Amino acid sequence: MAVILQMTYQKKLGLPNFSSHACSVSVSVEIPDVSVAAQESSKLYSLLQAAVDNEIQQVGYLPDATSYGMHQNGNGHPPNNGNGQNRSSNDQWKCTEGQRGFILRIVADNQLDKNTVEDMAQQLFGIGVKECDKMQASQLIEELLEKTGKGNGRRRPQWRSREPARA
Amino acid sequence: MIALAEAPTAPAPRTRSENQIISELRETVSASRLSLFLQCRLKFWFRYVAGLKKPKTPALHLGGSVHQVLRAWNMARWKGTPMSLKDLYDVYQAAWGDQEEEPVSWDEDEDDQKKVGWRLLETYFRESSIAAYARPEAVEVAVDADLSRHGLPALIGVIDLVHQNRIIDFKTSSQTPNPGKVAHTNEVQTCSYALLYREATGKRESGIEFHSLVKLKNPKVVITALEPMSEQQQTRFFHLIEAYVAGLDRRDFVPSPGLQCVACEWFNECRNWR
Repeated sequence: MAVILQMTYQKKLGLPNFSSHACSVSVSVEIPDVSVAAQESSKLYSLLQAAVDNEIQQVGYLPDATSYGMHQNGNGHPPNNGNGQNRSSNDQWKCTEGQRGFILRIVADNQLDKNTVEDMAQQLFGIGVKECDKMQASQLIEELLEKTGKGNGRRRPQWRSREPARA
Repeated sequence: MIALAEAPTAPAPRTRSENQIISELRETVSASRLSLFLQCRLKFWFRYVAGLKKPKTPALHLGGSVHQVLRAWNMARWKGTPMSLKDLYDVYQAAWGDQEEEPVSWDEDEDDQKKVGWRLLETYFRESSIAAYARPEAVEVAVDADLSRHGLPALIGVIDLVHQNRIIDFKTSSQTPNPGKVAHTNEVQTCSYALLYREATGKRESGIEFHSLVKLKNPKVVITALEPMSEQQQTRFFHLIEAYVAGLDRRDFVPSPGLQCVACEWFNECRNWR
């Protein structure tokens, strides 16, 4: 009676920037009887391992860790700071949508002059409000809260609902 | 499932189920939470899941008060309105006196500790490598990083100071830090800061510094400069976050008995764990 011997060899290797790649090769062979199974298995293992090792050396595309996902996503669209929104170019803010909304809400709630906020950003960072990145916007929000008497001197990132925590 | 034979520290009344709390803890991660989870999962459970509280230790209170003064000092430099030593001492007094919300367990003389903290600050102001007129880029800034493209929860945290593209973290300690080991023992923190900074600014940090204010008889300041986070460190950090998420999913809150338990404030509760 013929015996079918099936074997798969798979190898997964880590790559830089939290990537990984894997290669898998399978084979089925017919052997005359089970008495040769061990010998054939050993041969097949060596064969499959050599095949996988040969292929997996081809790393293929690797993203640049300093830019991939930061300035352009995989679809060629501009970044959205993780909030899934894109705005028209004449109203583009560099910070997140949550930060933008919070800054505007502080201005509206406290009837602040938008020029005052613009001046504050210029004074603190030498740029306009819309040019503030996430870090600068965070700092600006803290300043605005202090100015309006709502700052508490400790960090409370109120533009998001997540738990504030000291790193 | 965690079972306590007795609960010596009463938890605050809970309005959310344990599953809800764990689900929220899974949405975001901070360096302090991750470090605690890696240090001891049962201690993590006591603090973050059960919400048990312990009185603040004198060392923590001293560190917090020193941090508040450094924050005020850095903010003043940033705004171009330098503070006098007297102004800074007033900030220190106010910070030290703020013990109502979080009482401190004073097993040492409070006045002595207060003097130690102020001497540390005086030493730092005298020996700091940062010029009094140098303008920082950010002071105690709260930032977050979306790591969803790596299948990980969002990273949140507060960066003490950014100066000339360098991330600076202040520490108070009773021992002089070992420069050879700082990079490893603080890797969770440094990777967290680096990722937060890169995500928030789109720039790569030029380095990370720990400014350690060491509580010796003659206080001293030790600055440990580290290289920017490497890809290998980032990968290790992501694996640690993966372990955090997997541990929460498994409700894995077993203790980690070891030498570190000698000074653990949860020692008695831990002994009752079964």
